[in-house]
Amino acid sequence: MLEEEGIATVVIATEVFEERLTSMKLPRILFTAYPMGRPLGYPNQKEVQEQILKEGLRLLEESKNFTIKHFGGNDR
Amino acid sequence: MESMKTFKEALSYGDRNNLNFKFMAHLSDEEAADFIERSFDLMEDLLNGKSPNALRNHIIEGQKKVYSKSGKFSYETGFFHPLGKSLSEATIGLLTSSGHFLKGEDPMPFGKEAMKQEEAVARIADFLRERPQLSIIPKTAESEDLEVRHGGYDISGAELDANITFPIDRMKAFEKGHQIGTLSDDLYSFVGACAQGALKEVMKNNWIDQIKDRGIEGMVLVPV
Repeated sequence: MLEEEGIATVVIATEVFEERLTSMKLPRILFTAYPMGRPLGYPNQKEVQEQILKEGLRLLEESKNFTIKHFGGNDR
Repeated sequence: MESMKTFKEALSYGDRNNLNFKFMAHLSDEEAADFIERSFDLMEDLLNGKSPNALRNHIIEGQKKVYSKSGKFSYETGFFHPLGKSLSEATIGLLTSSGHFLKGEDPMPFGKEAMKQEEAVARIADFLRERPQLSIIPKTAESEDLEVRHGGYDISGAELDANITFPIDRMKAFEKGHQIGTLSDDLYSFVGACAQGALKEVMKNNWIDQIKDRGIEGMVLVPV
């Protein structure tokens, strides 16, 4: 809805909801390998939060079309 | 004696409610038993000093098995709008469904003052029928100035560090470091466990105008 109004968006979400969010045809999604309620990782992991946000913002800036990416998590 | 069925169902807003494990109510008895058995094995690894990551991944896989299925909001096509400029020149916003609000500015769901998380959990069915309320959080706020309440997920992590669902401190640091041009003066959060039709309606009729008034060109969305 925001995209229709000229606002570019990136969704940062846990991969727990991967299929559900993918089916919504959202323009840019960054999935993270963390449990529900912790899309930017575990508490007080400042560097992880920064890396996730940087990756999400990169999608916002560079994507020319619908893009889905995964951010690593628990050594997977 | 409590059957597996009763036990599973109690985890989802029942006598044994646990928002991290409520997904088990949607597993078959056999799947639930397998999940618990494997959890014990991995806990044994913890007792032997191994990394918690295998157990964490096991929980993620369990949640994924239930929550990842396509919902009713599946679409064939969607809209794509390019940012059209570099991040260092853009005004960026933040909108999350995490249920954060500024201390002293409680949205007071159902008119209730200082509702506790426990009550939000107990009233999840009411929330799911309710029109969502947008909490506006000025970027001058610090993560310590925030409160969180949401009956749909375990907020214990977000209580320890708001940034895992509402990354206000990190976004502010990006603005300070010129990785983004400007962070919007207002950041936004609401309780995502709400009436989804009403959410689309308020977004279209109200929230989008507020967001556009702030000159936001790119938005980080964090569904929880």
